[in-house]
Amino acid sequence: MQSKRYLLAGFPFILLAGMFEVLPVLTTIIKSFRPEGGGFGLTLEHYVAVFTKPLYVSAIRNSLLISAASAAIGLLVAFAAGRAACERGGSVKKLFMSILNMVSNFSGVPLAFSFIILFGNAGVVTILGRSLGIQSLAEFPLYTIWGLMLTYIYFQIPLATLLLIPAFDSIRREWREAVNIMGGNDRIFWRKVGIPVLLPSLLGTFSTLFANAISAYATAYALLMNNYSILPIRIAEQFKGDIVQRPEFGSALAVVLMLIMVCSMGITQRVAGMTGGKKA
Amino acid sequence: MKTKKKHGTGLLLVVVAVYLLIPLVFTFLYSLFREWMDILPSSFTLNAYGEILGDSVFWLSVGRTLIISIIPIFICMVIVLLAMYVVVVYHPEWDKYMKLLCTMPYAIQGVILPICVLALYADAPEPFSNRIFMLTSTYCIVVLPYIYQGVRNNLNGMNVKGLLEAAQMLGAGQFYSFFRIIVPNITNGIIISSMLAMAIVFGDFVVINMLAGNYFPTAQMYVYEIMKKSSQKTCAAIMILFTVTLLISMFVFLRGADSQKQDEEN
Repeated sequence: MQSKRYLLAGFPFILLAGMFEVLPVLTTIIKSFRPEGGGFGLTLEHYVAVFTKPLYVSAIRNSLLISAASAAIGLLVAFAAGRAACERGGSVKKLFMSILNMVSNFSGVPLAFSFIILFGNAGVVTILGRSLGIQSLAEFPLYTIWGLMLTYIYFQIPLATLLLIPAFDSIRREWREAVNIMGGNDRIFWRKVGIPVLLPSLLGTFSTLFANAISAYATAYALLMNNYSILPIRIAEQFKGDIVQRPEFGSALAVVLMLIMVCSMGITQRVAGMTGGKKA
Repeated sequence: MKTKKKHGTGLLLVVVAVYLLIPLVFTFLYSLFREWMDILPSSFTLNAYGEILGDSVFWLSVGRTLIISIIPIFICMVIVLLAMYVVVVYHPEWDKYMKLLCTMPYAIQGVILPICVLALYADAPEPFSNRIFMLTSTYCIVVLPYIYQGVRNNLNGMNVKGLLEAAQMLGAGQFYSFFRIIVPNITNGIIISSMLAMAIVFGDFVVINMLAGNYFPTAQMYVYEIMKKSSQKTCAAIMILFTVTLLISMFVFLRGADSQKQDEEN
């Protein structure tokens, strides 16, 4: 008995993870199958409602769309910027990375607000556009999907670039020289060597960005309130807010979001594993 | 040809950097001028900063943010180190389960974790239904991946087994040698991951808004509330909080660079 006393040290961890991580998730999953109002039995009615009511179908569609698009655009910009930073190297790269580190702290409510003072009804860019007669600047639709997309892309770029730069660092100069010696140009190098080598990092980064965007709440909440339907906002309002609270239905929405996250992580891991296997 | 290309990459970096800096710079400028009705702002003033810094509600909210970002991180760190002691010294084969539990918060990030906790404990008896208790434990889970990764990376970087065996041969107990020999060796990693976690809690809005926005208004809630009243004051508050977060993450960055240099020298 004496010799097993060390197990006590692991007890607080089990307690914390069990009570505030595993148990809440499990009860949410169970709750999503319970009928509303605390009746007995199990039901699929919440899931049927999630996938048939236009309000929630559009929330899921909007969330998927905006997350995939902002992750893809963020990744593209990060690819170009990360490559450029690593090619320049030295103090330019250091300065660029410091800027990325700095702006990656600028997110959530403050980020939404800064876009409001730039593109909102009395925003700086709006005024500028009006006095210069540029319609597209004066009437930027901030409080719609386009405004939300702009803010999401803004927080994706620094995150994506910071995640990709180590991968670019791993590309050796000799590889490119070898391609050049054998008569290949830069484009061939990237298509045949660079991108295949980077593929696992690119996919991993995409999945991080996607998860980051699809679960983001603060920016959308501060920017749009209820003007535009996305999944995290719809989930939150089932538990807290002005309308009637429906925890069972909200749980079903939350389970859908969890499944999307797990799927996106699982798929990228699978694909990254496959390409990794081929390389070896 | 070569220099032309170099200009191209430089230009790209400048464009991206400018795009990323525009919202920050304009928030800063906005906080300094009373009016911005034309192309250029007018009436320079530091009043907004004065008002924010003189507002006791602001200071209270910053104090709450500090408390709620330090206590959960401390609790989480102690718990992870204790569990790590069992895993490293006695059961290395359990590490995969610990890793699974510690990376799971990534899959339930954002709005999911707070609503799961809220749904389970909102109607539970005290102390579970206490909002501060819920908030503290939820933040412990939010920072768990960062704390675990920080501790694990640092342990991987040293010869734990050799050190433990040496300490044991000299007559030290397992618990003593882990906490008096191994842990002091990773102090730097512990500090860095704690500060990183602190920056995350500092910027959190979703957890606080879901669980305890009205009971325990933090600095982020303050910004959200003041947003409806005065743009200039909001910008000033944002800049003050941003500076604090920046100082924290600069500390992490410099500390991290230091320890890397040390490793290279060793």
